[in-house]
Amino acid sequence: MTISRKALFAVAMAVIALAQTGVLAYMATDRVQLLRDGREITLPVETIYVYPGDPLRGDYVQLMYPVGRVPLNVLEDAKARRNEVFYVVLERRNGNPWQPVEWHRSMPLPDGADRLVMRGRSDTATPIPSHRLPLIRYGIESYVVPQGEGEKLQAASRSKKLAVLVAVDKGGNAAIKGLIIDGKLQYEEPLF
Amino acid sequence: MSWYRTRVEGDLAKWQSAGWVTEAGVAAIKADLASRRPTIGAATIFAVLGAILFGFAVMSLANWNAMSKLARLSLLLAALWACYGGAAYVFARRLEAFAHSAVLGGIAVYGAGIKLVAQMYHMHGNPPDADLLWALGALLAAVLARSRAALAAALVLLSSWARLERELSADPHWIFLAPWVAAIAVAASLRWRPGLHLAALSLLTWLVPLGYYALDNHAHWVVVVIGGGIALTGAGLTVPAIERRVGVSQAVIAYGLAVAFAGLYIMQFVDDIALFGPRDAQPLGQVAALAAVTLILLVGAMYLALATDNRGLLWLAFAAFALQIFSLYSRMVGTQLETSLFFLVAALFAGVLAWAAYRLHLRQARASEASA
Repeated sequence: MTISRKALFAVAMAVIALAQTGVLAYMATDRVQLLRDGREITLPVETIYVYPGDPLRGDYVQLMYPVGRVPLNVLEDAKARRNEVFYVVLERRNGNPWQPVEWHRSMPLPDGADRLVMRGRSDTATPIPSHRLPLIRYGIESYVVPQGEGEKLQAASRSKKLAVLVAVDKGGNAAIKGLIIDGKLQYEEPLF
Repeated sequence: MSWYRTRVEGDLAKWQSAGWVTEAGVAAIKADLASRRPTIGAATIFAVLGAILFGFAVMSLANWNAMSKLARLSLLLAALWACYGGAAYVFARRLEAFAHSAVLGGIAVYGAGIKLVAQMYHMHGNPPDADLLWALGALLAAVLARSRAALAAALVLLSSWARLERELSADPHWIFLAPWVAAIAVAASLRWRPGLHLAALSLLTWLVPLGYYALDNHAHWVVVVIGGGIALTGAGLTVPAIERRVGVSQAVIAYGLAVAFAGLYIMQFVDDIALFGPRDAQPLGQVAALAAVTLILLVGAMYLALATDNRGLLWLAFAAFALQIFSLYSRMVGTQLETSLFFLVAALFAGVLAWAAYRLHLRQARASEASA
């Protein structure tokens, strides 16, 4: 074994470690940026499912939003594959909660004060039965809370007092910033 | 001691007593065998095991809420750098096996890191993306470190990625072929034959379920046609110029048969209700024709295997034959065919096989006599 082979291997190790560190750092900073700089909106929760966890993991909750139900008739060509990426336009009228009004395959016009785009993926089987409303996942459908607190959230959702504070960036990516119970922000997600 | 060395030493004793090999020759061959380093030793196995367990340890860290996100991430990155730094250190001390397990440990930590960040920040965009990122990281390590273990990890992760993506999107997911081709190129450049087999198996995990996702979602004939195509390609590779260099034709034929049989099997016994209706009302003619095609294919494969001394193909065809007969039996028992009649047919088949094998044997014996 020559010295250059050792050096070559060491360089290879450094390149691999740098590349992988880069990927992880990008994932984290991208997310922090979204949480910090994204536009804040409040989305009411329709249904919540709680999966009891353990002291280390906490309770895993699954959240369903009214904005996840996008009417088929507002899709450009009324056909969607499963897990296809869509840009859903949400609108807020007269202080009512955000409503999905259009969905597109590419990024539509920029946001306004009462208009905003969220990127999601379709969650239904092909072909979509025309009588049902397809579900869109925005990547904000699950969350982990400390063990035992899932039930509290369930009670709040039953009395329609549960909402989620969501950050949305220019590309329509969404992230949960915290949960809101009865108008008060709880479980605010720390950035670091 | 490797099985190869044990076998050669056993044969050497015979050859020496027959007077074909001199005593000096025996000593030289034994010395050569002894000088070869074992490819997989106990130390390597334990080191690889340690690397994988280390990965699991880091993955459990992802759930540890007592630490801040930054602390968890820092700890993880420190583990990542320790793995690759350690790899470089032990490589410099000529402990290559340990260096490669450290690389594998690094890949495990990297994958745990992806899961950790995704979990800490509640990222649920498209779960298969995590596996793809992980697989590409492993592939990079396989290329740069010329690491076989990293390549194996990359192939497993690529298969897992394709499976997740397929199930989520209900789509054949053709893009899988792109990183797969890259992986098989890496296997070839590492001159690692088991890596080629692993790549073939990874392709199989993508090809066999393809019928469920292509065309009308029950297009298993596509799988049969592709399997046949692979087998024919394998037969085409028997060109001496290629065969001398890589010697893959026999394996390619065997994998082609495996794919074609899997497609036929799914048509007959797994997805048959969608294809032919409820089990007690399936058209007997079609079902029987499909079974006949399968059995003829398998007998043909056995014949080819015997004629070309393709041991892998022979065992595969035997196993497939047994599975086919057993599945037919389970299906038919108590319905259309009486048990005894069924076994009679199976016995006739076996008889025909034995006769074919005997004829082949005779012909080969005559051919070798003629050439002698």
